[in-house]
Amino acid sequence: MSSSTSGRDDDAPDLVCQIDCVHGMVDALSSVRWKRHQDAVMELSAHGIVLTVEESGCLQAKVFLKREYDYAGEGRERFGLSLGLFVDCLNIFSAPGHASAVEIRYPGPDMQLLLKSVDSPDACLYAEIRTRIPDTISWDYNFEHDGNTPVTFTAKSAVLKETIDDLEWPGSSIQIRMQPDPPTVVFKGEGHGDLQVEFPYYANTDLLIVFQCDREVSYRYKYKFLRATTSNIPSSVMKENRRTKVTIGRGGMLKVQHLVSLARPGMPYFRNIGGGTEQTSRIAHIEFFVKPEEDDNDA
Amino acid sequence: MKFKAFFTGDGISLLDKRFLPAMDKVGRVCHVFLTPTHAMLLHNLLGATAAGPDGGGPQCVAQFAKDLLFREYNLSSRNGNQIAFSVEVALLHRALRSVLAVHAQAPAAGDAAGAPAIQVRLVNKLPAGSRSATPFLTFETKGARAAVVQDVPISRPLSRSDVERLQAALDAAKDLPQTLVQVPDLPQLQSLVDRLKNVGDLLTVAVTQYGDLHLQVSTSLVSVGSEFRKLRVIGDHANAPAGDQNLTASTRMDMAVERGEALSVQVNMKHLVKSLHCHLAKPDYTFYGIAPGGACLTVVFQYFIPGTRLADKSISFYCRLPVLDPGSS
Repeated sequence: MSSSTSGRDDDAPDLVCQIDCVHGMVDALSSVRWKRHQDAVMELSAHGIVLTVEESGCLQAKVFLKREYDYAGEGRERFGLSLGLFVDCLNIFSAPGHASAVEIRYPGPDMQLLLKSVDSPDACLYAEIRTRIPDTISWDYNFEHDGNTPVTFTAKSAVLKETIDDLEWPGSSIQIRMQPDPPTVVFKGEGHGDLQVEFPYYANTDLLIVFQCDREVSYRYKYKFLRATTSNIPSSVMKENRRTKVTIGRGGMLKVQHLVSLARPGMPYFRNIGGGTEQTSRIAHIEFFVKPEEDDNDA
Repeated sequence: MKFKAFFTGDGISLLDKRFLPAMDKVGRVCHVFLTPTHAMLLHNLLGATAAGPDGGGPQCVAQFAKDLLFREYNLSSRNGNQIAFSVEVALLHRALRSVLAVHAQAPAAGDAAGAPAIQVRLVNKLPAGSRSATPFLTFETKGARAAVVQDVPISRPLSRSDVERLQAALDAAKDLPQTLVQVPDLPQLQSLVDRLKNVGDLLTVAVTQYGDLHLQVSTSLVSVGSEFRKLRVIGDHANAPAGDQNLTASTRMDMAVERGEALSVQVNMKHLVKSLHCHLAKPDYTFYGIAPGGACLTVVFQYFIPGTRLADKSISFYCRLPVLDPGSS
């Protein structure tokens, strides 16, 4: 009886997907939430869901959730919504103590994003979030490696986060320098005093798990943008001993990649990182891109 | 004006473990209204706070047959033997617990078993440092080793006209909605409303004759709601039309209202949150309904006679939440 304004023949939404564990999705989305109110662009396609958040043209974050659902749409659907509102709504669905399943549908009769709990047929919780047409094209950061070999290192996420947290007091810009001989990553902040943190490759294989660098590179990044890349990593990342990969690309563009579990321990999909293979669909990929500050290029 | 009585064992237990904790959460100060047949605890039936949805809270009535709470009930006044006054609920509760504690100590040999004898009286006393006597509700008891007297300060007893207004408000509150739905799990509802309350201040509540209870809070960017279906219905009921199943909950609700098979009103979220604290009184059944014409949202709590499934008529406990607009009918 309700008339659809979309002009399609049937009222069936394009996207219907079920999330087994709301908490996991909240964790993944919260890792790119560095401010209370952020506008995000959500893109749905046959590949999955990509959520993009940007700030000031200098910082971009993307959350990739691989497709595990039925997708009846054509091509890509892109819309804008408030990230904070989306996360707050998802939190309403997760009651403490039990993993709640949520069904996500798009679009609703008025192009809303529809959330509905599917725990029981006779009681449901629902949310309808207004979306908007995104008015800016997401800036494609077009990350490229500088030279033939990527300049990259991988460290434990918890250690990287702690290091960046420690660099808060010196000042507002942080220099990251990678050098091949001796193989080291150095973080340096100057301002109110200075602080230098070194990750040597050979000293402690626990610290730098992977290190690749054939020439010295050094760039500065605004502290608040660097901080945003690790400040909201969910605690599951620490508990599961996950790693973060950091790459410095052409022109000093910084790429920070995390993995966040979407399932919880005890659920059938979760495998311990210590041993076996992960089911990749149970992981969300998080990527941050940070533009360097203009000066300082000791290549 | 005179009031003196002993509490029954049931009465102490009901007040201490159920009704005083619940009433304390609904509001800080309540009226106590004593008549020859009943004793009542009342919230927001008189005064500015009763006026409307922006007021202090929902109306709440806990009415007990006097024999349930008291024995040797001795009440007299020049106003038809009715006495009403206001008191801070927490103080009342604390006093009761304090006299009960005396009896919690191990009884000496030879003490009679059974309910501790706790007497309550209305008195006028001179408080320390004051020059005029003020009224108190005094609790007294003797335990095995100690005697305790607790004085709870109360307001001046209400005047005749105020008591009449109180009675009139009570009479007006007695109309039951035509359709009531039973909510099976009150703590679940409370946990849900706790999550909804962060979204906004106005809650739309709808009750259908099919046995649905629908709660929704909206802002310009989001609508969040919850729907409970196939609840037990008391009063007017109808069968849900078959085609409705695949529509969204809010569409279903709007259509039911249009058909005249549901009523929908808007209430203040804070009032609902307060009324939900009544689950502390551990009712056996809870019903929600909307008064005719959408005049208010009514919550009725029912108790069984212990050991049976028969309604206990000696307890009447309900809340009425004022609504923000006339609603639809």
